[in-house]
Amino acid sequence: MCLVCTHGGEKNQVARESDNDSGPMEVQTGSLRNAPLLETQGDIDHGTCSGLDTALRDSLAGGCRIILLDLTQVSYIDSGGLSVVFSALRDIPSDGWLGLIGPNSDVRRLFELVGLFADPNVRVFDDRQAAEIALDEETEAL
Amino acid sequence: MTPACEGFCRAIEVAPETARLADIRRFVEEVAAEVALDRERVFDLKVAVSEACANVVEHAGCETVPLQVRALVDAERLTFTVSDGGVFRPPNPCKQVAGNRGLGLPLMVALMDEVSFVRSPEGGTCVNLSVLLPTR
Repeated sequence: MCLVCTHGGEKNQVARESDNDSGPMEVQTGSLRNAPLLETQGDIDHGTCSGLDTALRDSLAGGCRIILLDLTQVSYIDSGGLSVVFSALRDIPSDGWLGLIGPNSDVRRLFELVGLFADPNVRVFDDRQAAEIALDEETEAL
Repeated sequence: MTPACEGFCRAIEVAPETARLADIRRFVEEVAAEVALDRERVFDLKVAVSEACANVVEHAGCETVPLQVRALVDAERLTFTVSDGGVFRPPNPCKQVAGNRGLGLPLMVALMDEVSFVRSPEGGTCVNLSVLLPTR
């Protein structure tokens, strides 16, 4: 397994956690309305979740209050990935939130099972447009 | 369950590495397709079997012994058995609180219809993960 970090475009950074045969898990870092947006592709499991952990840590180290995690291209997540998400949640400021965008029905079911949606600092959006509206409302309220 | 499923048995052996978990999930998908499980149950099995294998890789302490997963249809249930040469270790409650580690075992129990652990007298542990097959 290797961790490859490259720069893709002016604003985006790509962290790729790959294994021998199964294809990479990729995290692309961008932004939406100034909030970090981490777009993840592939399976998030015990072998690949460190790439997501690093990307979340980097975003949190920047002092942001809101982080968006786009899971539209994620078909599988296990307890390794769930631990990474819970870990990031603990470090988000109490007035901030983690926005989960587009988890599929299976991933959503797993989130519900472990009680992630009961956390007041978690918000779930069907797509980026819905997340964008929430960010705009957040800005107007300030 | 179709009669063709009775006596169904498949197996895979991989190196005990987290990088091989995706191979095991593919194996689960292939088996599930053969017995025509629905999509939700396939996902449940992928998570449960993958978690059991991850536990072996992370805790069993048998880096040189291949990780074996067998699938068997018997008595209207599909059972995946994860075997290793080490000792299955339940999660440490102290570490769980701090890091939400240890979600694997609760997930296995929540997603499966039956879970059992069998310790072999010769050493090693088997984790049996079963789902009831729909009657047709």
